[in-house]
Amino acid sequence: MQGNSLRRRSIAGLPAGSGGALPALTLVGLFFIVPVVALLLRSVTDPEPGLQNYAALFGSGTYVRVFLNTFLVAAVVTVVTIIVAFPVAWMLAIMPPALGSIVFGIIILSMWTNLLTRTYAWMVLLQRTGVINRALMGLGIIHEPLPLINNLTGVTIGMVYIMLPFMILPLVGTLRAIDAMTLRAAALCGASPLQAFRRILLPLSLPGIAAGGLMVFVMSLGYFVTPALLGGTSNMMLAEMIAQTVQSLLNWGLGSAAAFVLLVVTMALYAIQLRMVGARRLGGGL
Amino acid sequence: MTRPFLSIRAVRKAFGAFVAVHDVTIDVPKGEFLTFLGPSGSGKSTTLYAIAGFQDPTSGDVLLEDKSLLAVPSHRRNIGMVFQRYTLFPHLSVAENVAFPLRVRGRPDSEVRRKVADMLALVRLESFAGRYPGALSGGQQQRVALARALAYDPPILLMDEPLSALDKKLRQEIQAEIRRIHRETGVTILYVTHDQEEALHLSDRIALFKEGRIEQIGTGEDLYLRPASEFVAGFIGNSNFLTAEHLETENGTAVVRLADGSIIKGVKATHALGHGQKARLMVRPEAFRLMPAPGNASLAVEIVDTAFFGDRRRVVARTGSGEEIDVRPTSDTAEPGDADSASGQQIFFDPAAAFLFPA
Amino acid sequence: MLLDYDRLGWLRAALAGFTALVAAFLLLPVIFIVLLSFGSSRWLAFPPPGWTLKWYQELLADPAWIDAALTSARIAAMVAILAVVIGLLASFSLVRGEFRGRQLLRGLLLTPMVLPVVVFAIAIYAFFLRIGLAGTTTGFVIAHTILALPFAIIPIATALEGFDKSIEDAAIVCGASPLQARLRITLPSIRIGIFSAAIFSFLASWDEVVVAIFMASPTLQTLPVKIWGSLRADLSPVVAAASSLLVGLTLALMVVTALLRRRLSR
Repeated sequence: MQGNSLRRRSIAGLPAGSGGALPALTLVGLFFIVPVVALLLRSVTDPEPGLQNYAALFGSGTYVRVFLNTFLVAAVVTVVTIIVAFPVAWMLAIMPPALGSIVFGIIILSMWTNLLTRTYAWMVLLQRTGVINRALMGLGIIHEPLPLINNLTGVTIGMVYIMLPFMILPLVGTLRAIDAMTLRAAALCGASPLQAFRRILLPLSLPGIAAGGLMVFVMSLGYFVTPALLGGTSNMMLAEMIAQTVQSLLNWGLGSAAAFVLLVVTMALYAIQLRMVGARRLGGGL
Repeated sequence: MTRPFLSIRAVRKAFGAFVAVHDVTIDVPKGEFLTFLGPSGSGKSTTLYAIAGFQDPTSGDVLLEDKSLLAVPSHRRNIGMVFQRYTLFPHLSVAENVAFPLRVRGRPDSEVRRKVADMLALVRLESFAGRYPGALSGGQQQRVALARALAYDPPILLMDEPLSALDKKLRQEIQAEIRRIHRETGVTILYVTHDQEEALHLSDRIALFKEGRIEQIGTGEDLYLRPASEFVAGFIGNSNFLTAEHLETENGTAVVRLADGSIIKGVKATHALGHGQKARLMVRPEAFRLMPAPGNASLAVEIVDTAFFGDRRRVVARTGSGEEIDVRPTSDTAEPGDADSASGQQIFFDPAAAFLFPA
Repeated sequence: MLLDYDRLGWLRAALAGFTALVAAFLLLPVIFIVLLSFGSSRWLAFPPPGWTLKWYQELLADPAWIDAALTSARIAAMVAILAVVIGLLASFSLVRGEFRGRQLLRGLLLTPMVLPVVVFAIAIYAFFLRIGLAGTTTGFVIAHTILALPFAIIPIATALEGFDKSIEDAAIVCGASPLQARLRITLPSIRIGIFSAAIFSFLASWDEVVVAIFMASPTLQTLPVKIWGSLRADLSPVVAAASSLLVGLTLALMVVTALLRRRLSR
């Protein structure tokens, strides 16, 4: 109503201005914006002014392979996560709440469990002499241990494990927002379950899949811990390369340049995501 | 003349170029139940907010017992208010909600307890003292809000469409409660609503707002029986407007010709109209009588539709010129067979109960 | 009928089976680690040849582990308090404020959540090296508060958006001063959001690895840094014991959260 919107503005000798954000703004400005900008400046000034760090980055086969591998891993993780998450989200969206809350509890438990703990568990499970290999050999399915760790398989399993909650939870919201009546109508119109899925359910949930998928992709691009522990040296990802360049090689210029590339890609994808779902709904999946 | 209790003096509120309230002036005697009635956007709520202190008027003044309220911040005005939306404090029990205004005023515990008990008795929710707002129905929540607003004995109680979120039956129930509480406490109430039936039911006086101005102020009877304008006549109660042409006025009564050619004499003349001037003749649906033969002030009509509502019937009739009329014969005049013949009916009305407005 | 639980037919069995598998996939590593921490095999053989508490004894007897845990707890507690207070003030501006650039400010304050942590980690590390905060508790708290702030702002701002401002107005008409109305009415009404903010920002600091790896010094290391170091060295069962305690902590937090939410949301 008109009256309410009018009132909102003027009630209140209460300051509803920007003042409250000042502490947050100061903190973020001083200890986030300044350091990040300083780092980016470093990429064109260290060791001397110029673009030589970027030239080294894009001129070397090693680094280009890291870029490509990073995108490959992120893409594989995203696709697998979507495929695994969709049926679960579907089930959770329509399941009786009593039963569903158990599954939600498990999802939250895994999400809140320390990241290193989860990764450690997968290191133990996937190693050459680990439970999975022993079980498969015990069942006679394989005779030699499978290489499950320090390669793409290990990274994918570990990353999908971590990303699943971030895909399932928003998707449940999307699917719950779809009116079941729409699908009843589709059935009455003569659509088989497969047709109803392909022509109604999937298109209606596509915005949620796209938004969640993009979020998983962006998070995977910059992930450090899990790839560093479960991946191999031959398929290093960008975040680990940045950390190593700075920490072990002390090459700040090159590390900063790589960080800048990661930042630009991430922020560009983030901007697309914002346009897709709106800034408001972005933390909804917490 | 006695000194007014609350005086709203030439209050004007502009938002940029848009003027929401145009120089509204009202004097309210102590203990009155005054309703601001009008369509949404007519300035009634804005006027109420100026009294509550949510908005400062652009110009004008609000005086309570001759002292201006404008310089006093909302929380020191000591005014009670019930809002359109449910505004109980969700984390406090019913009793704590009612106690809140007394606690912020630093009243002693014993007084708070006594007053809370009194107020909950007043709204008949004694047994709900320990409940939380989430466990109450909408009607109960608004009754608690009423108790909270009255707990500190405010001289004025403002009510901003407090029943608009409730369903019809509940609304009627709480209207009766509000009337009773007004009678028992004698508090001065300013009530905002867009529902004319609610206004008629509750108020001592009604101020009808239109586009930021008061169109007419008076008792419900004044507005219903003596509407000052076509807008008032149309807003209060049900009305039929017939296209008419003014022929002449003599001794306070007018003669008009309706669109179907019939001449009606003895209409009250409240507006000065020239010969041949286009006019609108307003007749309340219940002022019509159906009858089989023509007489004075009668129209030949065709019955289009009839509907039965238990205590009354509603008949839609069409005049010779094609205008549809809503007729509500009262039960004593409604012979079951009346409307059976679809055409050749006559309807009659008392011209003294009709109103003539310039078109 | 694809969204009618009772009308799915065979598809329901398939979906339920798949969901159960995924739930097991999510749950098993956690259970597995807890079981292994009680196993007697130094090489983490499964099923364990015997059961023992010696890894817990070894863990609790090592002052380095205890120190790391206490350091983490101290830093995370400070971060939670700072992030909630700063986030609360910012949320009022973001939700109620009407000023130019409000959306921009919102985006800016949430950015630390989206930027890859490794970029922020080396940036803040370089910055702190220069101003002498690297390897200090203050440095840790500042860096982690930046990362925790979005996790504090989101639940508080969401709660504040869901709170009808008319209720605050009602308190003011009742005679409460604007400040009283906020402290006595608004804050208690959004306490679930504030509580979530505290939990999330505590966890954001407690579990943070990447910044911590860069910032840690020989005298100041957090629990994740200690675990990280052990993982890179070998897969000792002591890490399983530490991990199990962390799982226990997570479970305890979940239970407390569930109970408090139930009590607070009457």
